Parts: sequence; C-alpha cells; structure tokens
Amino acid sequence: MTVVESEIKPGPSGRRHVTVLVDRCAGCQECVIRCPSGALSMEPVTWTALANDDACVGCRQCERTCPFAAIEVDGPLALSARMDPKNYQPVELRGNIVEIRRGYDTWEEAIAEANRCLACPDPTCMRGCPAHNDIPQFVAAVRDRDLERAHEILSRTTVMPDICSRVCNQAAQCEGACTWSLAGAEPVAIGRLERFIADHAPVPAPLRGEANEYAVSVAIIGSGPAGIGAAWDLIEAGASVTVYEKDATPGGLPIWGMPDFTLPDEIATRPWRQLIDAGVDLRCETTIAPESIDGLLEEHDAVIVAAGAGVPMRLAVPGAELEGVVDATYFLKGAKSALVEGGDPSDFKRELGVANDRGRRVLVLGAGNTAMDVARMARRLGLEATCVDWLDERNALARPDELAEARHEGVDVRFSRTLTMLLGYEGRVGRALLSHTFQRDAKKPPVVLQREPDQLDVDLVVMAMGYRVDGPLSEVLGAVPIRKRATGMAHGSWRASGILKNAASAYNHHSPVGSLALDREVGLWAATMPVRERLWVVGDALTGPSSVVEAMAQGRRAARALLDAHPTRPDRSREFVSSHAARVLVCYCSEGGTTKRVADEIVDQLNIQGARAQARSIDDVGVVELAQADVVMVGTWVEGLVVAKVRPARAMREWLEALPNLGGRRVAVFCTYKVNPRGALEEMSEMLTAKGAKVIASEAFAPRDAHASLRPTKPEALANRVADRVVHAKAGAGSH
Amino acid sequence: MADRVETKTPRGCGAGVGEKHLIDPIGVAIHIRRPENPAAIGRFAPTDLPRGLDVARHPLVARILRDRRLQFMLILPNQIIFWLVIGIGLLGTAIPGLNFATAITWYLWFCLVFVMMVVVGRAWCAMCPFGGFGEWIQRHTFWKRTTSNIGLGLKMPEKLAQYGFLLSVGAFLLLTWIEEFFNIAGPGNPASTSFMVLGIVASALVFFLVFERRTFCRYVCPLSALIGTVGTMGSVAGFRTRDRDVCLSCTTKDCMRGDEDGYGCPWYTWPGSSDSNSACGLCTECYKACPSDNIGLFLQKPLTSVVAPTRRRADVAWSIALLFGLVVYQQLNALTPFGNLDTWLNNHTIFPHYPDPIAYLGIIVAVALVMAGAARVLQALFARDGYTPSTIGRTFVDRTSSFRTYFLPLMYGIIPVVGADYFARQLPKFFQHVPRVPVSIGHLFGVGTTGSSLYKASLISSNAGIVAVQVGVIAMGTLAAMWTSWRIAGRDIAPAGGNKRVVQLSVTGFALALGIVVALLYVLMNAAD
Repeated sequence: MTVVESEIKPGPSGRRHVTVLVDRCAGCQECVIRCPSGALSMEPVTWTALANDDACVGCRQCERTCPFAAIEVDGPLALSARMDPKNYQPVELRGNIVEIRRGYDTWEEAIAEANRCLACPDPTCMRGCPAHNDIPQFVAAVRDRDLERAHEILSRTTVMPDICSRVCNQAAQCEGACTWSLAGAEPVAIGRLERFIADHAPVPAPLRGEANEYAVSVAIIGSGPAGIGAAWDLIEAGASVTVYEKDATPGGLPIWGMPDFTLPDEIATRPWRQLIDAGVDLRCETTIAPESIDGLLEEHDAVIVAAGAGVPMRLAVPGAELEGVVDATYFLKGAKSALVEGGDPSDFKRELGVANDRGRRVLVLGAGNTAMDVARMARRLGLEATCVDWLDERNALARPDELAEARHEGVDVRFSRTLTMLLGYEGRVGRALLSHTFQRDAKKPPVVLQREPDQLDVDLVVMAMGYRVDGPLSEVLGAVPIRKRATGMAHGSWRASGILKNAASAYNHHSPVGSLALDREVGLWAATMPVRERLWVVGDALTGPSSVVEAMAQGRRAARALLDAHPTRPDRSREFVSSHAARVLVCYCSEGGTTKRVADEIVDQLNIQGARAQARSIDDVGVVELAQADVVMVGTWVEGLVVAKVRPARAMREWLEALPNLGGRRVAVFCTYKVNPRGALEEMSEMLTAKGAKVIASEAFAPRDAHASLRPTKPEALANRVADRVVHAKAGAGSH
Repeated sequence: MADRVETKTPRGCGAGVGEKHLIDPIGVAIHIRRPENPAAIGRFAPTDLPRGLDVARHPLVARILRDRRLQFMLILPNQIIFWLVIGIGLLGTAIPGLNFATAITWYLWFCLVFVMMVVVGRAWCAMCPFGGFGEWIQRHTFWKRTTSNIGLGLKMPEKLAQYGFLLSVGAFLLLTWIEEFFNIAGPGNPASTSFMVLGIVASALVFFLVFERRTFCRYVCPLSALIGTVGTMGSVAGFRTRDRDVCLSCTTKDCMRGDEDGYGCPWYTWPGSSDSNSACGLCTECYKACPSDNIGLFLQKPLTSVVAPTRRRADVAWSIALLFGLVVYQQLNALTPFGNLDTWLNNHTIFPHYPDPIAYLGIIVAVALVMAGAARVLQALFARDGYTPSTIGRTFVDRTSSFRTYFLPLMYGIIPVVGADYFARQLPKFFQHVPRVPVSIGHLFGVGTTGSSLYKASLISSNAGIVAVQVGVIAMGTLAAMWTSWRIAGRDIAPAGGNKRVVQLSVTGFALALGIVVALLYVLMNAAD
C-alpha cells in the first residue's frame, strides 16, 4: 500500500491544541456534534465551543465542519501505524495465479486496525463508499469480535463484501474519504477489515422472501455485479426473478475479466452459487437482443437491464488491423482459462502467435486497471509486457497499489505516450511507434507532442483502453449512458460532513474524493428512476464503464425502487393492480405561501379521492421521493412583471433542470399567478417532457381560486381530474 | 437533489402493499452527538422575541425578503449617489454649501445614518454602497447566488479579530481625525469629501478581495462599531430563529454555509444564537438560505438589544468608552480652554494646526479611562470579598475578571447617552444647512446659487433653539440610559455583591451624571459660540 507522509506539522510542544476563535464562533455546535473524540462541548456563558485538548485526537474534523472556520487544531495526529500485511511475493511468476494481496490472518491484527477507527459521528468514509456501507459500525463489530453482527451491518448495503474488499479502489473511495486521510494521514484499512469479515465468516446467503400472489415478476438482463445486486434484493423480497446471461458462466466481468491473483475464482463465483440456491431462475447462454426488451416487458412486471458495458474500445491507428492485435476481453478470457490449475498455456500462446519460438513482447494499450490485469496476466504467461497510456502518471486511472504491484512484477508502464502507428511484417504486427504526450491537468485531454516517437518491437498488441456500452442497446434505452457528473451545489448534509472541505486526499494522489463521491451519487439517483415505464437500467449499462461496487449498489437501489413502485404488466388481475394505492407527490415552490396553500388543498382532495398524497417543498424532494410516487404534481409561483419575463420561478426551473430522467412518470403541472400566467405552464410542461415525463394535466390558479366558496374549487377540480386518471383508472384496470 | 432518511428496514419484508423499500443508507450511518439543546434554549430564552413581532410572517414581506434582488435594489440608489458625490466633489464648485458632494454627505446623509441607527440598527449596512460595491466584485454578480468568489478569501487573523469592534473604532478615530485635520466635514471641502469617499470605497474593495465574506464590515468599517453599539437601541432585532429547537437540530446550517438560495451569513452571525441586532447586517441571506423556513425578521421594543444580551463583550464595552471619548472631544474642542491647549501643544510639538493628535487621542483615552475608573470604583464599593468570576475567557473578547464584571455592563448601560450625544452633535449641521441640499442639486442644473433664499434658510436658525433641541435629545438619551442601566445593573452587576437597590441606584446615577455633563457641554459650547 502506498504510504503517504503526514502533511500536518506537529505543534510547538508536540501536543495537540485546539483554538476556538471566539469572535467568530457562533455557538452552532456543528463541531460539537461531529467531534469523534468528544473533545468539544459548549461554554455556557459565552456560548462558544470549548475544547478539551487532552481528549482531542487531532483529526481536524471540527476544522472541516465549522461553517465559519472558527476552530483550529495544532499538533500531531493521535494515530498508530496502519496494519498492512505484506503482499505475497511469488518466487516464480510464470503460471502462478495465487492471490497476491493478503488479508489479516489474526484477530490481533484486525482489532489493532479496527482500533484506529474513530467511529466518526458523521462518517465521511461512508459517503466515500459507493454503496454507503456503515463502516464505523462494522469496524466496531470487528472490535467486538462479532462477525455475525458485522455481516448483518454489511448486508444492509452490500451483497459482495468478499469481492468488493478485494477489487475496490479504496484509496479513491472509503479510505480516501476516511477522516484520517482527509487530515493528510494514513486512513483506516477499511478494505482489509471488510475482507477480514468475509474471509473469517461466510457471507450470509439471501433469505428467500415469502412468495405471495402479489409478488412481482422481474427479468434481469445480465448477471454481473449489477444483476447480482438487483436479483439479491428481489429474491429476498419474494419476487420471481429470471436472469438472462449471454455467457455460459454467470457473474460478468469479475468472472471473465478479473484474474485469479486479484480475485480468486472461488470468491468470484460465490454470489451466484447462493442466488441459484435461493431460487433465482438463471438462464445462461441466452442473449437478449435490445429490441426484444419490449417482449420481456409483456411477460414480466418489470425488466432491469444490467447488461454492462462490454464492447472493447479500439484505437483506430494505422496497422490496427494487423494480425497480432487483440482486445482485452479476448486476451483476459483466454488467459484465465489457460492459467487455471493444471491448464496448459501453450495452446493459448500459440493462438496469440506468441509461442516460445515466435517472440514474447506484448504491448498493452492503456494503463488502467484492465490494462494492469492484462499485463500481469501476460507476465504469468511468461511474456514481457509494456503498458502505454497517454495520460500523465499523476492522473493514472489504475489503483495506486495495482500500479505498484504491476511494476514490481516487471511490467514496464510508460505514461505520457500514445500509440500512433503499428508496423507489420507479412501481415503481422512487428513494431509500434509511440508518440510523446503532455497533459497539463487532469480535466484536460493530453496533447500529442511533435517529437520523434519511441519505437518498440512488439509481437502482440492488446487494446485495453476500456469498454463502452453496446450502441444498439443505448439506442433502444434512450438516455443512457448518463453523464455521471454532479452539478450545482451539493446537499447541505454533504457539505456539513466535511468530505468536500479537503477536496483532495493526500492518500490517493490528491484526488478529490468528495466530488468523486458526489458524482457517484448521480449514478445511484439515475438507477432509482426507471428509464421507461417498468424498465430500469443499472450498472455499466447505465453509467458507462464503472466499478463493481457501484454496479452492485445501483442494482440494489433499482430493485428496491422497483419493489416500491410495484409495477404491473397489463394482463395482471384487478386485485393485483389495486393492491397498491396510488401515491401522488405534490412538489411546490412557494414564496409568499399561496402556492403552498394550493398544494395543500390539492393534497387534501386527492386523499379524499382515495390516493395517498403528500405535499413537499421542492427543497425537500429528492430522487427517493420521486421514485416513490406514481404521479408527481409540480406547482410553482410565477415570476416576472405583469407581462414581461413571466415564467415559472427560477428555483423551480433550476429544480426541473436538475431532475433525473423521469422514465415516463405521469406528471401534472400547476402554477399560481397574480395577473397572467402567460407561458409558465407550457414552459414547465416542456421541461418535464424533456425529462421523460408524461404531462397528464395542467392548470393555472389565480389567488382567489383557492378561497372560492363554490365546490369544488379549481385546485380541487384539478385534484379530481388527476384522481380520475390514477386512482379510479387503477381500480378499473385489469378488468380487460 | 437530496436523499432522504427513512428509518424502516426493508430486509425480509414481502413485496406487498405500501412497504417502504427505499431507505437512505447515509441516514442510517449517521450518529451525530446530541447538541446541547436544553442549555441553549434556556440560555437564549430571555432574548427570544414574541412570534407576533416577526414581520416575515406576512406573505408580501416574505416575498420581498426572498427576492434575491432586494439588497441590490437597496444598494443601487446609494451607489449612484456616492459615485455622483465622488464625481461632483472633484469636478463641481468649490463652495461647500453649493456642492452636491458636501451638501448631501455632511448635511443630510450623516444625520440620516444616525436616525436609521437609532431607529432600526444596521439599516445602513443593508444599503451601504461601499460594502455593496466590494461585495458585487467579490461575488462577481449584482444579486445572483454564485458559488465562486473573486479574491483570496482569507480569514481575518485571530490576533486582530479577537479585538472585534475595536479595529473599527480605530478606523473611526483615524477617519474623524483626518476629517478634522483637513476640515472635510464642516462646513466642508468638496474635493476632500470625494477623496475620502473614494478612499473608503477603495479600502473596502481591497478588504473584500483579500478577505472572505464581509470581513471589512464586521471588523474594519469605520462606522461598524458605532452602528453595532449605538444601533442596539434600534427597534429591529434582525433575522432570528423562529423555533430554536429547529435550529439546534439542524445539521446543515445552510444559513451559515449558504445554499442554492442564499449565501452563508456574511457577518459571521448565526440566527440561532443571535441575541442582539449588533452583528446582523439585515442582508436577508440567512432568511433565503434556511431550508426549514425557520428564520424571521423580528421587531423589538427600543433598547431591547442593549439590555437583553447575556454575553457582554469586552470589545463592545471598550468601543463605547472610546466612542464616548470621541464625541466628548468634539464637544470640548469648541471650548476656549481647549483651543488654548491645542495651540500650546501644537507649538511645543511642531504640529501645524488643529487638531493636535496628542490632545485628540489624550482626551479620548482619558474619557475612556474615566469610564474604566468609574467601574473600578463600583468594583471597590460593591464587589463582595473574594469575588472572582468563573474563568471562561481565553482571548480579549471574552476573558473574565472582577473589573470586567463591572465595566462591561456599565458601558452597555450608557449606550443611549452616547447615542444621544452623537445624534445631538450632528443636529446643528442638519438644522442650519439641510435646505442647501436641494439648492446643491439645483446647482447641477444651473439653478440655485449662494444667493438663493433656500441657501440662506435654516430649519432652526437660533443657537438657543438648536441647543434646546440638543439638550432635549440628551435628556431623552439620559432617561433611556438610566432605564437600561437600572435593568442591567440589577441583572448583571448586583449578583457580584452589594445591596441590589444600591448598586442599581449607583449605576443609574452614573448614567444620569454623564447625561448632565454632556448636556452642560452643549450649553457651554453655545456660550462659547
């Protein structure tokens, strides 16, 4: 593991000292409620924070969380050295697929590491984890030697702790966001502790939920991590789950793409052994063409597409068509089966054209995690491997430890180089021209320099620049893959937690762990909402190539949203459909209170009509609330001056702009106006339609409409119209 | 978009009706400590204001306060006026009474600022063009909520910041001395007035570009300490929490950090702990940012913010003492003995002319020390044997001592006298010259000269009349100070020792004595004229 020197300079006396800037401290207690060591309290007379230096551990959480920057900590961090077991070092690499990284062997090691955890009250590590594992709690369970409880805590958010603890890039996720890491020191070895739990107590199998007549039937396309996550929650909830997998073996990329020395086969296959036992109907070697999804929707109540992003990207350079140029998928699948215990790699090497008498120099294009796997597999096949990447090494995509391990195994990794031409001899690749590149910062693509290119003799070229979503699938699904980038201001709870304050974690090459975590949230939000009615997309198919843990978390998120939405295929019985009351969410943006009053009136009327309705200010509406609504009503006040610039309120427009795809959700819009609503309703309808919503009703209200004595009032009439469409239509459905 | 907290676990539940399957794992993993709610609620209860005084409950007011353009609209007219002041002061006539710059600044604006101070509080701060200009540049917008700032965004170093308002008092003393030295204000010098305003705008801009938020306004602005102390007499309590429990259990504190709708408080004030209007700039940002609609704009009875705060701050107390020194200096300098002293000092320190800095600072410091001495006397008279306040303070602002137990409340008590004294001091210029303001405006358009009848007019022409008004103002201020002193002495000073009534009488007597002294000075000034 990379070790980063602490950037915090010890205080003058070597002790910790907390200074509360009493002139700025407003007594809000943000630091008090988040201090891991309880070193802060309130001074009752001045009502400012009061620090106990003896209890302070120096983690600087208070500095990160104070809204007015009114607290400062000096002195070293009270932190013992991290327990990092040394990697297994094979004497002979060739043919050796024994797992390289080691977990903790003894309780003493695990508990010593667990003791480094501060159990932060507002844990940043949990926000850094894409699945939001409750890290402080499972670490505490390890400390208590209670692995059953640890598994119970983990199982709330993850179904593959054994796999994730091995393949996650913790430095950019949980460990990068650990409060120690944010303070510039070595974080708690969260990944290793998670692995300790999974290594020393079996991961609990899914408990098949009681299947009843109202159980939904779901088809999942793809059996990778996203499919596993979705199937797990669905089967636990008693749904009937059918999984279609195009390969002969289920499990997706961790099965065919991850070498045994990183993820042993025994571990990688564990989830599917358990899922099959629990009753998931797995249909391997069944390819679902994108255009057959509609057919599946007729057979099932819902479909989850977890097909991954499996199309390898190829570099279009002169010579790319030569013999001896292959893609990573082909190489990894072949190498994996060639290297199994008792296997003979010579056939596969002959197939590649790098048999012992023909040459053994492999050029791997890319230096991400896949490229590292390819190069390290090549080393185990007895080949020489060179990886080239046009990025600067500071912005390397591979895990820092993975890169170090590859280099240790003799892989030549060259950054700031890009392949410009492949030269061949008799139709087979023989030489590569590598141009120099320069990248100023991580956000900008590198530029190719006009310098004499390096020449490299090669016998095999493996393109491992990554993958993309299958084109026809994207076309059928519409708005995928999404752009996984959080825009606008982060929610207050994220800013208050302090994860965004130290934008860069020293432990992970100064990558901005906070904003990376926020970007991942976008993936979770998108997975929550269906792309179309009864159709969810998760994992790499949704976001483009991403991580195992994100795919798994999105799969679970979609499954839960699906269970909550209770989708029904058209031929279901009437009882099945009406078993679930129509839920209406009225989202309002009110300034003086008129729109809020109208929203309340609509909600009252909807509830009278038998719907389950609630009104919420748009500030309080998140994707979870939207996902839980069958119908969304959106209401705003109208800004502008009588006739000039009359539009929906800016806050409402911004909120609409930030919405995820609404996947065919039915929406009614309304507004309140003083003089004239002009085009406000149309503008809102257009914005919502652009987000994939179906606008079923719209109405503008003058202030007097809400107070009218004639029943029903105009807002009540709108509510009745919406109720007609959802509550009564639902009750009448299924009769055909 | 925000994830919400649901507490129900989905494990093992059937896919039946109405189950909540979506839970927010983030919410489950957060175990923040409990805030010290009961202590806070008890502590702030005496300063809480009745719900009926929250004007933001009115929908129209709410709508106006929520409008991001509000402060821009308040600043804009003043911005225009003060850029006109800068331009006309430099380019217009040299006759002070006829130049718009001097007329509006010294005959009208300064008085209006005092009126707003006494009636409202920091009303001027909400519309101040100097801070407003700096803030526009800092935020690179006129009213929108931007997320990036121009400038270095530094914190005020704590070594300085711990002196709070005293930095502002220093700036005010410096500016007043410059103003007296160059005779900028009365009857006025148009070009110098321009340079002075330009200087303030430029220094504000520098501070806004170097430091974060309204560091300039909070710590450095020459008027900040005066408004922050005298303004506590005002009847607007500022933006306060509606329900303190909601504020204490809020874990995002958008009012301090800012959110999409509003900036974090530029004045380093939290509505949840604000117990006076002293540091509320009335900028409405917290009102806009609060996600719980839990902030109101409260009115209060006059003098509430003088009496109510339980946290007495040393910087405020010393500011009052020094500001009182300054206004007393301005009264004394009209008397003959002072003229003789100043001339004598100038001759012996080779200083060109009035005001001699030694006399200036000497008198101000002497008055402040007399105030401290009075506190020392009270301490000697009343503090019970061995009385030591609990040690809580670590810095200048909140260190405790037996002396401070007397000095701090004593100074808070005399705020109305000091305020009245400043106000009375501005009155002659207003009464005598304010009719020149329309003349100076007319002069810009070619009508209005020194010959205009309005130019020669005054609201009160006789010295005796003005003095009568001044003494009347002081009398009202003294009565108010006697009331605040009585209340403050009973609550804050009496517990340190002595008979409660005697302590109250002594402290109130002190306020009365100060009132009589300054009233007498006005009478003497008139006689000297």
